[in-house]
Amino acid sequence: MNTIVFGEGLERVAVRPITPDIFWITHCLGDKAQDIYKNYFSMLPNAADYSGHRIVDYPFSAFLIRDEKSLMIDTGAPRQQANTLKAVEYVLGDKSLDYIWISHVELPHAGNAPALKRRYPQAQYMTVRGGEQYALHGLEGAQLMAPGEVIDLGKHQLESVEPLFVDHGLSQWAYERTTGFTFTADWAHNLHEPAKNECFMFLDEMETAGYSAALHCDDVKVNAWYQFPWLKWTDPDEVCTAIDAFFARYDTKILAPSHGNIIRGDMARYVPLIKEGMRQAIAM
Amino acid sequence: MIRNIVGDVYQIGEYVEGSYGYEAVLVYVIMNEQHPILIDCGSQLHRTGIMQEINSLLAGRTPEYIFLTHSELPHAGNLQQVAKQWPNIKVIVSNVMLPYIEIAPILPLSQITSEAAGKTINVGGRTLKFVFATLKDQPGSQWVFDAQTGVLFTGDGFGYYQSAEQIGKFSDEVEGGIREIQFRDYHRTAFHFLRWVLPEKFNPDLDAIFAQLPVKIIAPIHGDAIRGDIPTHVARLKQAVANIRNAV
Ligand SMILES: [Fe+2]
Ligand SMILES: [Fe+2]
Ligand SMILES: [Fe+2]
Repeated sequence: MNTIVFGEGLERVAVRPITPDIFWITHCLGDKAQDIYKNYFSMLPNAADYSGHRIVDYPFSAFLIRDEKSLMIDTGAPRQQANTLKAVEYVLGDKSLDYIWISHVELPHAGNAPALKRRYPQAQYMTVRGGEQYALHGLEGAQLMAPGEVIDLGKHQLESVEPLFVDHGLSQWAYERTTGFTFTADWAHNLHEPAKNECFMFLDEMETAGYSAALHCDDVKVNAWYQFPWLKWTDPDEVCTAIDAFFARYDTKILAPSHGNIIRGDMARYVPLIKEGMRQAIAM
Repeated sequence: MIRNIVGDVYQIGEYVEGSYGYEAVLVYVIMNEQHPILIDCGSQLHRTGIMQEINSLLAGRTPEYIFLTHSELPHAGNLQQVAKQWPNIKVIVSNVMLPYIEIAPILPLSQITSEAAGKTINVGGRTLKFVFATLKDQPGSQWVFDAQTGVLFTGDGFGYYQSAEQIGKFSDEVEGGIREIQFRDYHRTAFHFLRWVLPEKFNPDLDAIFAQLPVKIIAPIHGDAIRGDIPTHVARLKQAVANIRNAV
């Protein structure tokens, strides 16, 4: 199966297999990106220091694991609801969706949970244990997982991971033990250029077409600066030590952030680059 | 519960019980003569009560603006209801937010304006200043300062859990005001990133806001308004942030 695209513009959603049974369901704007992101770099401190000549795009992704029990990591936003449901139905056919696993409760991550639940009423919400006020955040009745707990899907085992870099109090990352698929929600993502046809590409495909380590590092930095405004109050050495410990613990073969292109393998090359991006973000 | 805080600024709210006591989920209303402004619109869980209270306070006036500190459900969960009753309402959010995807598609995007921190705008004759939200979960969060009354609306920042007896009471109506442990418990659960934050780097940024603005009242969404003795409460919040870090 190749990339299949449903809808267009603000509603567009694509689905693409990363492995035979893990699917990337993602919205980004393509031609419309310039309307929304033309000032993305100019809002930064020292705007001229970044590769800001690019017209970039910013994906919002969910991931669907198809197995004996199927599980969706995040849900996309309500604006893309109809096409997200089409993508899920396309992948699952007449199989059911069993789990709706929520990383955190922002609209672009959890906003279609009720719609998915209406379509697949037997699906169980899953989220992180130890939070406060689940009902207030729309997750009443969710099954709660502590970091380290695993859901057995059949061929896949999804482990809830204590996240390193988060905004919300209720947040989790995930690690799939069979494929080495690591989901890091809002952390460690690049940007892409629709004009270079980079929408829905894997990162290695972008690199073949010219995307460089320098751009990647810059993108990780800029996105981290936006996403985690508190980084400026942290100790860069402590942050980098934690990143090393994270990848030592989770043998990552696929790195899937919510808002970037998917990295397939060669983490020994990417981890230093991501750390450098974080170091620079802290210094911005 | 509707309470007047100062001048023409009111709080409306519900309180939900949790492991640390009660968490307020408030909506603030600046009456602003014929041009009322809402700050957030509360949780969908309390739709009926919140809408009744907003209506009873407004007594037939139409709110012109709603400022969303951020788009999480406890803050924006009733936007659909608000938009249904007042379809011409204008929404103001932070310029770091992407309204097309972070706000449910219930209002035309042309009714949503994004403003940068530091900007001062005139909203229905009222001067509001947008302030960098030092304590926030979503990056597209913003604080807002009302120059006329000296109220700083701080979204999730400065939230605190309270006891049943404290519900609906302003800090000056509670013996000793809001305690450090109340700030600490709330901020630890709301902002998991605080375990990374070094107080010596954080404190100057927080202090700068209060050095710049003559803040008389702090109005968090998750705690009744903090009226007066601002330096003491800011000092307690800084202590709370330091204690969260030290517990790591
Ligand atoms: Fe996100
Ligand atoms: Fe929040
Ligand atoms: Fe909140």
